Amino acid sequence: MAHHHSESDDEDYSYDDDSESEQEEEEEEEPRSSRKKRGRSNPDHSVGSARGKKRKPSGSIFIEDDVIVDDDEVEDEDDVEDGFIEHGEADLGDEDVVGRRHRPFHEPAAFRSRVGAEEYLDFMQEKYSNPRAEYDDEDDYEDGEPTHVDQQALLPSVRDPKLWMVKCAIGREREVAVCLMQKAVDRGSDFKIRSVIALDHLQNFIYIEADMEAHVKEAIKGMRNIFANHKILLVPIREMADVLSVKSKTVELARDTWVRMKLGIYKGDLAQVVDVDDVRRRVTVKLIPRIDLQLLADKQEGSVIVKKKSFVPPPRFMNVDEARELHIRVERRRDRMTGDYFENIGGLLFKDGFLYKKVSTKSISTQNVTPTFDELERFKKSNENGEIDFVDMSTLFANRKKGHFMKGDEVIVVKGDLKNMKGWVEKVDEENVLIRSEMKGLNNPLAVNERELCKYFEPGNHVKVVSGTHKEATGMVVKVDQHVLFILTDTTKQHIRVFADHVVKSAEVTNGVTKMGEYELHDLVLLSNLSFGVIIKLDSEAIQVLKGIPGRTELAIVKHGEIKYKIDKRINVKDRNKNVITVKDVVRVTEGPSKGKQGPVMHIYKGVLFLHDRHNVEHAGFVCVKCSSCVLSGGSYSGADRIVDSFSRLGNSKSPAPVPPSPRRFQRADSGYNSGAGGRHWSGRGGGRGGHDLLVGAYVKVRLGPFKGYRGRIVEVKEKTVRLEHEAKIVTGKLNLPLHTHLVAAC
Amino acid sequence: MFFHIVLERNMQLHPRFFGQNLRENLVSNLVKDVEGTNSGRHGFVLAVTGIESIGKGLIRDGTCFVTFPVKYRCVVSKPFKGEVLEAVVTKVMQHGFFAEAGPLQLFVSNHEMEDCMEYQAGDMPNYTSSDGSVRIQKECEVLLKITAVSVVASEIFCLGSIKGEFLGLLNVRA
Repeated sequence: MAHHHSESDDEDYSYDDDSESEQEEEEEEEPRSSRKKRGRSNPDHSVGSARGKKRKPSGSIFIEDDVIVDDDEVEDEDDVEDGFIEHGEADLGDEDVVGRRHRPFHEPAAFRSRVGAEEYLDFMQEKYSNPRAEYDDEDDYEDGEPTHVDQQALLPSVRDPKLWMVKCAIGREREVAVCLMQKAVDRGSDFKIRSVIALDHLQNFIYIEADMEAHVKEAIKGMRNIFANHKILLVPIREMADVLSVKSKTVELARDTWVRMKLGIYKGDLAQVVDVDDVRRRVTVKLIPRIDLQLLADKQEGSVIVKKKSFVPPPRFMNVDEARELHIRVERRRDRMTGDYFENIGGLLFKDGFLYKKVSTKSISTQNVTPTFDELERFKKSNENGEIDFVDMSTLFANRKKGHFMKGDEVIVVKGDLKNMKGWVEKVDEENVLIRSEMKGLNNPLAVNERELCKYFEPGNHVKVVSGTHKEATGMVVKVDQHVLFILTDTTKQHIRVFADHVVKSAEVTNGVTKMGEYELHDLVLLSNLSFGVIIKLDSEAIQVLKGIPGRTELAIVKHGEIKYKIDKRINVKDRNKNVITVKDVVRVTEGPSKGKQGPVMHIYKGVLFLHDRHNVEHAGFVCVKCSSCVLSGGSYSGADRIVDSFSRLGNSKSPAPVPPSPRRFQRADSGYNSGAGGRHWSGRGGGRGGHDLLVGAYVKVRLGPFKGYRGRIVEVKEKTVRLEHEAKIVTGKLNLPLHTHLVAAC
Repeated sequence: MFFHIVLERNMQLHPRFFGQNLRENLVSNLVKDVEGTNSGRHGFVLAVTGIESIGKGLIRDGTCFVTFPVKYRCVVSKPFKGEVLEAVVTKVMQHGFFAEAGPLQLFVSNHEMEDCMEYQAGDMPNYTSSDGSVRIQKECEVLLKITAVSVVASEIFCLGSIKGEFLGLLNVRA
């Protein structure tokens, strides 16, 4: 036997011979069921047929019990089919239609004539009564959705009206189509053509759908814009469907939209749409004129030969009086459509200083037109009324990339009945945004069109700019002016103007990038030409470094590769009064151009100090001075100064002084904080100032002498010697303070 | 606005400081750590006035440090929206001026000033009213109202306004 059961039973083998025959069904239930189960568990057995109904007696040797299994499956299918049929009853009508349409293709003409009408009807009914049966086999057939096969069936055939290609005047295709339509309405049944197609991307031609060429010829008789003498071409059947294939997105043009010119001297200029003429595919736009009045005047006089314009005149509002002065003819015309007065100069129409120009739709770009502030301001200026309407601004965003609203954003409605209503974004859909408002009596959430919404911010919100020129800047909103926000940046404390669209609420405080590779903002680095400086600004392209040249501020903009390495040395220097200064000490500059500045020392290198003055807005507050031109002020980051600067976490690095000042204060709580402040002075490491007892307990490293390199804690301080408790042993060395000790931060 | 509140903090101490001065060491550490800082929630901690309690110390695994939970009383200062304060002008710029009220930095934009105030650049940039009677420049005291408080990563920054009755220049600091 060709077949093998994985669990073969002798009992079953005896049945095998009989199993293939059609009498299987009469056999006992039990063995059948067991076989069924086995059948199901051995799906790899080849099954002769997919459908139980069709049993091939010829290949019966190879057909297994699985066939029985199939029966059940088929039964299930029947049920399902029945179910289908019930559902599909409603659609039966459509299917009938579909079926009917297919009939002409499925049946040969001969068949129809051969069989009588009644028989033909019966045959049809039988064939099409159960439409689903036919399509069961087909893959991916779903309710209602036509398959590829269906669509193919809908393609035109020889019996359908044909498409004829007719030549017409350029730019008049739509006009011709409309005219023919009008003619059809007027003529009524006389008109034999079925339809007219005018395509945007195909110039000079239109398609006419008609049965015969003669119909077409008659229809176009008398049409001015059609070239009747030109040959009328027939479109092959195969290509007829391609005529109507849609390739590009439709361009939406509405009044007051902002667009940009693509061609001519106004290329790239911002323009506002004033009027749309769909038929002729032309729009009237409003521009800031670039007119060379002198040239115009000369031209009119006829004295100047018009040469190719080598330069483009700058945009300037047209002043009619100026033009008159130059003896250019100015006519005052009244436009029929709008009733406005226009000044006509040299064939161009002007109003309010703007140039109104009629251009074809092709020469303007509507996608992603983002007017900059300056351009908008210029448009604004000429308006006597002042501000551009809110609505105008919102059209700016009509053409933008969608989806700039996020869940949780606070928004305000700017158009429509719900204008000025505030809410929060709950969900963003394709077109609509669901917002939740606090107003009672409204359904929550409310669906609002994206175009009618605008992000809402209040002064004091902390925001981050996510797109535009000021990308990655964070700051606080200072003023809200409809769509425009004024933001005070965190780091540079500058005023920037951005669109509300470009910002999101955020708690981040960055100037953008703070870390680029290994270098962080405010790091001291060595540059390739052996100069050094502090990084004050990090960009994706370049890094701004304040050079370590005391006395004058020099900025260098370097590339990432020009930085050799980060300098991270711990050095001590002495100030004017021979006090030791280390990093984080507060110093005050006493001479030089930076005189009067005060702040903690951030870096020391080669006798040059970099201190950070909070009040200094430029260069991120960094000032570069020579160590000899400053004095150590008020101890090191003592309490009084610490309060002012938030990033002083000084004292931690030093081990606690043995005598804390605070208990003193507790005892004399009423004596005010001044004494406390005074007492606190010597709590830090004075490094030479204050008492020597200070050093006891300080963790130091020996710099010179036989014990160089030793680290330890100071146990006892005498006049000139210091007793160090080294990890290994106690060492007493004659250590001259502070020269010989190098204070190191405790672990 | 000032508050006198109880705060808690976990202080770490190295065993070398154990001994009879343990408590003092702990307290001095606390003071050094906390005074002069600000947290977004409580504002600027100005001064520690006393210790409420020091809990039992817990030795941290892996290191020798011991953590003590310390409760302490302190005076804090936190700005609120709508509060009126006096501040000293520190820097005058084209779009407004910066002022300081103790540890708090504020900014008053020129939109938040009376319309008659105009920026005048120069050696000593200032804001002068149109009739010349009021001149706000560096080191001047102004009375301003806080319009917005933003707490960003424990840095408190406020926006203020001098547009209103009784707000504005107080007197020139000598």
